[in-house]
Amino acid sequence: MKYIIIVGCGKTGRGLATELSVTDNVVVVDKDTKALESLGDDFNGKKIWGDVLDLNTLENAGIKDTDVIFLLTGNDNINLVVGTVVKRKYNIKNVILQLSDVIKKRVFKEEGLTIVNPTYMVVEVLKKRIS
Amino acid sequence: MYIVIAGAGRLGLVLAKRLKEDKHQVCLIDKDEDLCDSLANELKDIIVICGDATYPDVLREARIEKASVCVTATTCDEDNIIICNLAKELFGVKRAVARVNDPKHLPLYKYMGIDNPVDSTSIIARIVEEEASFTDVMSLLSIKKGRLSIVRIDIPEESPVANKALKDITLPANSVLVSILRGPEIIIPSGVTVILPGDEVIAATLIDSEKELIKTLIGKI
Repeated sequence: MKYIIIVGCGKTGRGLATELSVTDNVVVVDKDTKALESLGDDFNGKKIWGDVLDLNTLENAGIKDTDVIFLLTGNDNINLVVGTVVKRKYNIKNVILQLSDVIKKRVFKEEGLTIVNPTYMVVEVLKKRIS
Repeated sequence: MYIVIAGAGRLGLVLAKRLKEDKHQVCLIDKDEDLCDSLANELKDIIVICGDATYPDVLREARIEKASVCVTATTCDEDNIIICNLAKELFGVKRAVARVNDPKHLPLYKYMGIDNPVDSTSIIARIVEEEASFTDVMSLLSIKKGRLSIVRIDIPEESPVANKALKDITLPANSVLVSILRGPEIIIPSGVTVILPGDEVIAATLIDSEKELIKTLIGKI
């Protein structure tokens, strides 16, 4: 059973949290209580309300024990800053973040972060449809 | 010097004008189009660029690689961090100074390698605290983000050091009396100088020793 932190409870975060919480230990962090409430009864994990740029919030979420952290806040800069800092400070192996903009991906690629760009993925999927 | 400032809010704007007065070349970047339009009209000798400074292209347009200093003064800590990071890592700017909006975010600046975070909230809180608590003490100058301060202390009648020579007074470590103002007279003190009630003492002290110094000279805090 993995310990997984998901930061950002938008559509992607919510879907991922609900699925992963079936088999793993999942903590969802968001600054908006409404977003956290939107996790339905199917979600079987912990919710933490707080500012993710405050390291205390992440420590409350158990950052020191985590195997994986997903950064899905919808704000590229927050995802990048938090991703880089948790990698450096807590040495978490698996840091996965969503960036809507590819330009910044180049700059931060050497940090050992896994960066996912939704547009790129959709383009790849669509391309495969006609090949 | 060429200085790029990201964020043209109150802080960014005041800073830009002051740096311009000091004959520096200044470039201001802000996201807000209307603000940039009016600033470009108002500030003829400052370069104004409209754009999101967390994007390398916008920084490139500001010719940030030529800047000696990059200052980030936006109200978003994550943006300030990213901008400083890009300025240093991607464009080789030597010095990046960042405004910290929320003191709780200060550790992030440290881990992102930003050498000069300025935690304005804590600095102002300290000044207000000082103004609020000590009536006969006035902070004249604060150096190195407040670690060293030059203070003026009025010596009251009941001061434990009144009518004593300096050589008979033990000051706390890391503090020194710089001068004594007595009416129109300015005295640079030596060991035999006697402190009188009503004197205004100018002292330099490290912030950690400040309270101890005040206690020594006034007798209370």
